[in-house]
Formats: sequence, structure tokens, C-alpha cells
Amino acid sequence: MTDSAVMAEVGAGQVARLAVLFERYHRSLFRYFISMGGRREQAEDLVQEVFFRMLRYRTSYDPAQSFTAWMYQIARNAGVDQVRKRRATEVVDIDTFGERRAEFVSSAPGPEESVSRGQDLALLRRAMDQLPDDKREILVLSRFQGMKHEDIAEVLGCEVGTVKVRVYRAIRALEQIYFTLEKEKVS
Amino acid sequence: MTCEEAKNRMTDYWSRTLGEADKQEFSAHLAACEACRSEVSRVDALWRSLDLLPVEEPSGQMRERFYEMLGAYRQGLASAETQPVKRWWTMPAWQMAAAGALLAVGLGVGYGVRGGGAQPPGEVSQLREEVASMRQLVALSLLQQQSASERLRGVSWSYQVEPSDKEVLNALVTAVNHDPNVNVRLAAVDALRPFTGSPATHVTARNAVVQALPKQTTPIVQVALIDFLAELKEKNAAPELRRLVSDPDIDSGVRKRAEWALERMQ
Repeated sequence: MTDSAVMAEVGAGQVARLAVLFERYHRSLFRYFISMGGRREQAEDLVQEVFFRMLRYRTSYDPAQSFTAWMYQIARNAGVDQVRKRRATEVVDIDTFGERRAEFVSSAPGPEESVSRGQDLALLRRAMDQLPDDKREILVLSRFQGMKHEDIAEVLGCEVGTVKVRVYRAIRALEQIYFTLEKEKVS
Repeated sequence: MTCEEAKNRMTDYWSRTLGEADKQEFSAHLAACEACRSEVSRVDALWRSLDLLPVEEPSGQMRERFYEMLGAYRQGLASAETQPVKRWWTMPAWQMAAAGALLAVGLGVGYGVRGGGAQPPGEVSQLREEVASMRQLVALSLLQQQSASERLRGVSWSYQVEPSDKEVLNALVTAVNHDPNVNVRLAAVDALRPFTGSPATHVTARNAVVQALPKQTTPIVQVALIDFLAELKEKNAAPELRRLVSDPDIDSGVRKRAEWALERMQ
């Protein structure tokens, strides 16, 4: 059964069917929040919040709409709201959503740092961490979450062509940061 | 194709979403343009290497919290449906007056009409079905997890499903026979008990316990199964119990328990 059909059932009152969507997506959402700079506990709280919002706004879901796009719209809003709660006096947007990344990333070497497969994965991870939030987000959605460009366009509220351009710029920016870090490492 | 047009197609190329016609045109451009070829190849390696970054996994508590939240939400919905909204007619003074009038009407009507017992509303039975289906989903999902502690939690959840649930019964039997963790196998043996008391599943469950015994090699699980068979007074298990009694290589504790079970069945 498709995601849209399951969500339509939830919207029609069979709220227990949300468990099916939880089993399909909780890992992807968790990884999205981690990639956007959350700590493990915060990422788990946010995943919980996303599913809670799906219940609350279940009747607003239009089955003609892509379920993943709808879900990530909720996820983005939940992430922004969490930062807003922490900084009630500041104006918060997606650009600050991922700024706690530095707190999350451990300075201890991870297991991938002992692996060499053409690219230095430790450097790559650092390069991802240094990527501006909007660029990191679009790479996370297209590369890690495997979303279609059309769905990303729906989440970000822009044209499909704009998404492609932004993905291109994001991966090129990542490349630049990666090579800068690589040069620093050599010198 | 110009270099500018090629750049517009690079994202699709790296994402493996380039259409067939575009792919041919794009390849032709790359064959002729060294700068674009170099860029595509270099970034493609970076794009693919993103797959190698380690993946964080959520803790098992996240699932537990979700199902608690879902259960609480459902309870809230159910109680909201059964509690009337406060309106003027719910105020005590109005209720007293209405109660008097209704009592008089009710007494009059009651003499003339014989009504049946109150039936549970359709929503309530639907709700019960949904709760049962949710519990089944949780139990089955947890029993398939990689972590032994998660599978143990799945066994615990199985006590909350109806004992007539054949899917959960099958999952438990699979756990008894094939789970690599001895604690999960032991817990699954215990969890089969409710199923041996259900008219819909008792034959399958009893047969499963009989057939599980020869498959086990761990003494503690063998003893648990023997105890269960003795409790059920399951005569079909007698041949296997006799084999265990006569097997010189079998653990002495298991042999004694099999002797005891045979005596108890007589």
C-alpha cells in the first residue's frame, strides 16, 4: 500500500495506521535531523514531534500530494520551531536550524576515518559540517533521503529547475570545502 | 549542447535521473569537452562517496515512545468521543427538569415497548479492531529487529495481542525455532502459552511446541519445552521424550526432565 493511501486512512480516522508510516520513515527522519545538526536526543524528540503533528493535522493531508514532501514540510517546520523555542527573542529561519552542528559532531575520530576508499571520509564529514545550512539541507534531501527533485521543490516551495541548480551549487561548494580541507591537511 | 546546458543536466546525471535522449546528448558533449568531462567525473566520485558516510541509527526507545504517544492519542480521541460537549442542556438545573420530564415519558413508553440490551456502538468495535491491529503490528515489527533486546520486547508485546492471532503465533514459533539468542527463544516458548488456550490456535500452537523440541540443542530451552509439554499433557510428544531419555549424549538434566514429563503424562 502506498504512503499516500496509508496516510489517507489515518486522515479518515484509522490513526493506528500511522504505525505503518512510522516504521517506514522514522530512520530517514532521524537521519535528516542529525544531518541538520541535531544531537541524538533532540533528533529523536523531533521525529516524535513530526509524527505527532501528522496526527494533529491528519485531515489536512491531500492524498494527491506527495506524502514525503508533506512529511518533510512538517519536519522542517518542527526543526525551525525547536530552535525558535530555544531562542524566543531571535528571528529564526532555516539558516539557523542547523547551526548546532558543531555541538553534535564529535572531535573523536570515527570508525570511517580508518577507511580509505578514494575519498577521505573524515574530511568529507568535516566538509559536510562546514557547508552552509541551506546547501547542506538540499544535499541531505536529494542525496541521503533520496527524494525526487519534484518533491524537494514542493518542500522548499520553489521550481524544479531551481532545485537542480541549488543541488549543483551545493555539491560544488562541498567539493571546494573538501579540497580546502585536504590542502590544509597536507600542509 | 553548450557547456551551460551541460551544467544544467549534471545534477540529473549524478542523481541518475537523466532521460535517455538527454543522456545521449550529454555523453556526446562530454566526449568533446574535456573541462565538463573532468568536472562530471570529479564531482561524481564525491557524490558517490557520500554513500560511505556512516549512518546514525535511532535508539530502541524511540519506537517505544512513538507507540506510547500513539496509544495515548487514541485514548484521548476515544474519551473525547464518549464525553459530551458542555452545552446549556448539560447544566444541572436543565438536567433536573429534563430528567423529570423524560422519566414520565419513559415510564409511559416503557410499558408499551420492550427494547433489547444496549449494543456497543460501531465506533467502539472499530476502535477495538484498530487497537488489536496496532498491537499486532508492534509485536511483529519488534520480532523482526536485529537487536535481541528489541526482539525480547516483541515477545512481551505478543501478550497484548489476541491469542487467536495466527500471524503473531507464527512469528513466535519462528523465534522459538530459529532465533539465535537463547533468551529470546526462552521468552518465546513462554509466550506460546496463551495460544494453546485459544480455540482458533490451540492445535497449531501445541503442534509447534511438539515439533520445536527435536530442533533445540540448548538444555535450558529443551527443559522449558519439556515442562510446557508436560503441562499440556501432550501425548504426541512422547516419542521425542523417549528418544531424549535413551540418548546417551544428551544433557543429564534434560534426560531427567524428560523422564519426569513421561511419568507425568501417564
